[in-house]
Amino acid sequence: MFDGLFLRGSHLLADTAHHLWFPEQASTYAAESDGTYSMILWISLAFFIPLAILMVYFPIKYYQRKGGKATSRVTHHNVLEVTWTIVPCIFLVIMFVRGSWGYLDMATPPEGAKQVDLTAFKWGWSMNYGKGAIHPELHVVLNQPTKVVMRSTDVLHSFFIPAFRLKQDVVPGRYITAWFQATTPTPKVSQEEYEAALAAHEESGDEVWDYDRYQMTPDGYRYFDLFCAEYCGRDHSAMQSYVVVHETQESWDEWIRKISSRGETPLAEYGEKLYQLRNCIGCHSNEPNNILVGPTFHNLYGYERQMADGETVLADEQYIRESILDPKAKVVMGFQPQMPSFKGQLSDDDIASLIAYMKTLSDRGETASEAALDDDAAAADDADAAAAQPVEAIAN
Amino acid sequence: MTTGAATAPGGVRDAGFVSDNENYLKNSSGVLSWMFTLDHKRIGIMYLVGILTSFLGGGLLAMVIRYHLMAPGGATTISNDAYNQLFTLHGAIMVFLFIIPSIPAALGNFLVPVMLGAKDVAFPRLNLSSFYLWVGGAIFFVGALLMNGLDTGWTFYTPYSTSTDTSVVMATFGAFILGFSSIFTGLNFIVTINTMRPPGMTWFRMPLFLWATYATSIIQVLATPVLGITLLLLIAENVMHIGIFDPEFNGDPVTYQHFFWFYSHPAVYIMILPAFGIISELISVHSHKGIFGYRFIAYSSIALALLSFLVWGHHMFTSGMSSVTVVIFSALTFTVSVPSAIKVFNWVATMYKGAISLTTPMCYALAFLFLFTIGGLTGLFLGTISTDLHLHDTYFVVAHFHYVMMGGTVVSFVGGLFHWWPKMTGKMFNEAGGRISALIVFVGFNLTFLPQFLLGNQGMPRRYATYDPEFQWLHQLSSIGAFTLGIGLLVAGLVLLHSLYAGRQAPANPWGGATLEWHCTSPPPFYNFKHAPVVGDPYEFANVHYDEATDNYVFTELPRTLVPEEPVKTPTPAGGQS
Repeated sequence: MFDGLFLRGSHLLADTAHHLWFPEQASTYAAESDGTYSMILWISLAFFIPLAILMVYFPIKYYQRKGGKATSRVTHHNVLEVTWTIVPCIFLVIMFVRGSWGYLDMATPPEGAKQVDLTAFKWGWSMNYGKGAIHPELHVVLNQPTKVVMRSTDVLHSFFIPAFRLKQDVVPGRYITAWFQATTPTPKVSQEEYEAALAAHEESGDEVWDYDRYQMTPDGYRYFDLFCAEYCGRDHSAMQSYVVVHETQESWDEWIRKISSRGETPLAEYGEKLYQLRNCIGCHSNEPNNILVGPTFHNLYGYERQMADGETVLADEQYIRESILDPKAKVVMGFQPQMPSFKGQLSDDDIASLIAYMKTLSDRGETASEAALDDDAAAADDADAAAAQPVEAIAN
Repeated sequence: MTTGAATAPGGVRDAGFVSDNENYLKNSSGVLSWMFTLDHKRIGIMYLVGILTSFLGGGLLAMVIRYHLMAPGGATTISNDAYNQLFTLHGAIMVFLFIIPSIPAALGNFLVPVMLGAKDVAFPRLNLSSFYLWVGGAIFFVGALLMNGLDTGWTFYTPYSTSTDTSVVMATFGAFILGFSSIFTGLNFIVTINTMRPPGMTWFRMPLFLWATYATSIIQVLATPVLGITLLLLIAENVMHIGIFDPEFNGDPVTYQHFFWFYSHPAVYIMILPAFGIISELISVHSHKGIFGYRFIAYSSIALALLSFLVWGHHMFTSGMSSVTVVIFSALTFTVSVPSAIKVFNWVATMYKGAISLTTPMCYALAFLFLFTIGGLTGLFLGTISTDLHLHDTYFVVAHFHYVMMGGTVVSFVGGLFHWWPKMTGKMFNEAGGRISALIVFVGFNLTFLPQFLLGNQGMPRRYATYDPEFQWLHQLSSIGAFTLGIGLLVAGLVLLHSLYAGRQAPANPWGGATLEWHCTSPPPFYNFKHAPVVGDPYEFANVHYDEATDNYVFTELPRTLVPEEPVKTPTPAGGQS
C-alpha cells in the first residue's frame, strides 16, 4: 500500500527528470519563474521564521498558572504598527513588479515563431503541424520559438507543461495563443533501450503505449509531460500528452514525415493506429460489452443501427464517414450527441483506414460489402495522394 | 476594591448559576419548542447541529478521496466519474453548507446578541426563516446527490456545467436558496449591531468578534445577490439556452468566471473574517491581556471587506484575460494581503507579556496563527503572475486554500467552539482531551497539506482521479496526514460529546473573559440579561480575578479615578503649541 513511499529513493534515481522541488527547467521562461519563486520564498521565510519563533516563545515565556496577571498593559504602539504595515508593502511591490515583468516579457510571441494549431477535446489533444500532419504529441525544435494556437471543441481545458512553467486555459469559442521556447532537448533513447521497451510493450499486450512505464514515446524519444489543468469531466486526469524537444530541425522534419502519411502500412493496421492516436479509443471501445461515451466499434460495421429519432440505418462505409465528419447528423439511440466533428482533421485515406479497421472488429466485416473490398485496393493506390491532400485540410 | 476577588467576596460580581426554568435549554421542552423557537441561542444550536453534520459528511468524503489517491491508478475501485462526484460534493458541501454559515450562523447567532447585552437579534423571525432556508438549500443539495449526483466541481464552470447530465440545476437552485439564508443572516446582524448596542458600547468598544461579524455581514449582503444572479443565469442557460455562458449558443465561459468569482472571492472573506474575530477574542482572553492594536484590527476587517470586492480576477490569470487586466488584478491582489498581515502581527504582539493559559481554545488559536501565516504567505506565490502561471490549478492551490480555509477557518471554529462550549451548554469539557485533539489536528494538518505544496511545485494538477507514478509518495504522505487529521477532529468531537453527560457544570466565566457573554450565567437564561448592562472596554482584564474555590473568574469594580485627577492649573491656549 505504501510502496510508493518506500520506493521513493530508487524511484527518484530511476526518474531523474522529476526533481524534488521543481521539474527540470526546460524553457526560457522557467528560470525566471523559478527565480521569482525563490525570491518570494526567501522573503516569506524572513517573515515566517521570526513570527514562528515568537509564536512558540511567547506562550512558553509568558505562561502563567490560572489567576496570573499580565505584566504589561500596552494596548497599542502606533510607530510599531505603522512600521509593520509599511515594510511588508515594500516587499509586496517588489514581488508584484518582478512577477508582472516576467509575465509581460512573455506575453507576445516573437516574430517568426513556428506555429502549431492545437485542438483540445474531451479527453485528448491534437496538434496540427500543417499539411495533414496531426498527432497527439507536441513536437518542437530546441531553442526555436513555438506558438501554439489553441481551441477547444467542447468544454474548458488548460494547456499545462510543468517543465516549461507554462499554463494557458483553452476556452471554447475563442482562439487563444501561448508560446514558449524550449531550452532542453528530450533526446532519443539508445537503440537497445528502445527495442527493450518495444518488446516489453509487445509482451504486455497493452493496446495503448504506456509512456510512464517506459519513460519514452512510442518513437523512442524522452519527453516532458503535458497535462490538462482545467477540470473537464470523466477522464480529465487521463487527458495528458507529451512534449518532445528535437535537437535539430532535421530530426523534427523526419518525425513529421513519419507521422504524416500511411506509407506502406496496410489500411486496417494504420486505422488501428489512428484509432489510438486520434483518441477514438477514449469514447469508443473495441470490445463487445464495453460501452464508453459512444457506441463500441465491435460489431458495428455491417449491422443495422437504431437512431435516436427512431430511424434504422445500416452501418456501412458512408454511414461511418458521415458519423466522423458530421457526428450530429445521425445519433444512435441511447447516446448523447457529444462527438466533435473531425472534418479537416482526417483525410479520406485516414477515414478509409479507420473503416478498414472497424471491419476487422466486425463479424460482418468481410461479407457485408464486396464493393468495399474493391475500394480497399483503390484507396491504397490513392494513399499517398490523399495524404498530401486531406479533405479540406489546413487551408492556411 | 484593592484586594483580589477571592478575599473580598462582598464586592465581587459573579453571575452564579442559572435556574432550570430560566435556562434557555430547559425553559421549554419538546421538538416543537425548538422548531418554532425565536430564541437566537436555540437557533444557533440548531445551526450548529446542521453545520457539524455537513462537516462530518464533507469530511468523510475527503477521507474517501485521500484513500483513493494512495495509488496512481486509484487505490479503490471508484471510477473516474465517481471520483469527480466525490471531490465536487466534498467542495460544495464544505463551502456552501459548512464553512460559509459555520461561524456567522452558528457561533454568531449565539454570541452576537449576548455580546451586545441584548435579548435577541433585531429580527428573530427572519433569523428562524434563514435557518429553514439553510435546511431547504441543504435538502436540494442532498437531493441532487441522490438523483444524478453532481460532477462539475463546486465552481459550476460553464460549459461543462451546461453540458453534463448530472443534477446541476437542482444543486445550483440549492445554492441559490442557501444564498438567501446567508443574506438574511447578514442583514439581521447589521441591523442588530447598528441599533442594539448597550449604553457605553461605542463602535470602538465593541468586541472584535462583533467587528468581524459586521464586516462579514456587509459582504454577505452586497456579494451574495451576485451569486444568486449568476446561478439563476446558469439555470436559464441550462434550461433555456439563453446564450450567455455557453459558446454553443454564442455565450462566453469567461463571463461566467467573472460573475462567479465576483461573489466567490468576497465569499472567501465571508469564510475567514469571522475566524479573525474569534482569534482576536481567544488570544486576548487566554493571554489575559488587552488586544494589541484594537483599531488596526478593527479597521483591517473593514478594509478586507471592501478590498475583497476588487480582486476576483486573480482566480483567472490563465483564463485568457488581456495582459493589462491580469497585471491590474495582480496589483490589487497584493493590497489585500496587507490587512491580514497586520492582524497576524497584532495577535502575536498581544501575547507579549501576557499571562498565557494553555487551554484548549488557546492551543487551537496558536495552531491557527501558525497555519494561517503559512496559508497567507503561500498566497503571495499565487498573486505573483509569473509564478502563478506554473502553480495555478495545481495542488499548490489546493494546499494554499486548505491552509487558509481549514487551517484558518476550521481550526478557529473548533477553537471558538471549545471556548464558548461552556457558555453554550453549561458543561466543562476534559482539558487534556481537548489539548491532545489540538495537537493531533495540528500535526495531521501539516502532514496532509505540506506535501501538497511540493506536488504543486512539481506540476501535479488538481481534480485528478489518477496521476503519474512519480507523484505517489507525496500523495501517500498526504493521505496518512489526512487520516491523522480525521482522528484529531474525531477526538475533539468525542471530548465535546463526552462533556455533555459527564462534564462538570460550567461557571459563568471559566476563562476570564471580559466581554458581556461572560457576565451572564452558563448557559445564559432565555432572556440573556435582566437589564441592559452598561459596558466599558471589552479588553480590560484588571478587574477580572481568578477564584480558586470555584475555578471561576469573577469581576470586581474597577478602581475609579477622577478624570482629570488634578485640575489643570494652566489651561492650554486654544490652538496653542505645547
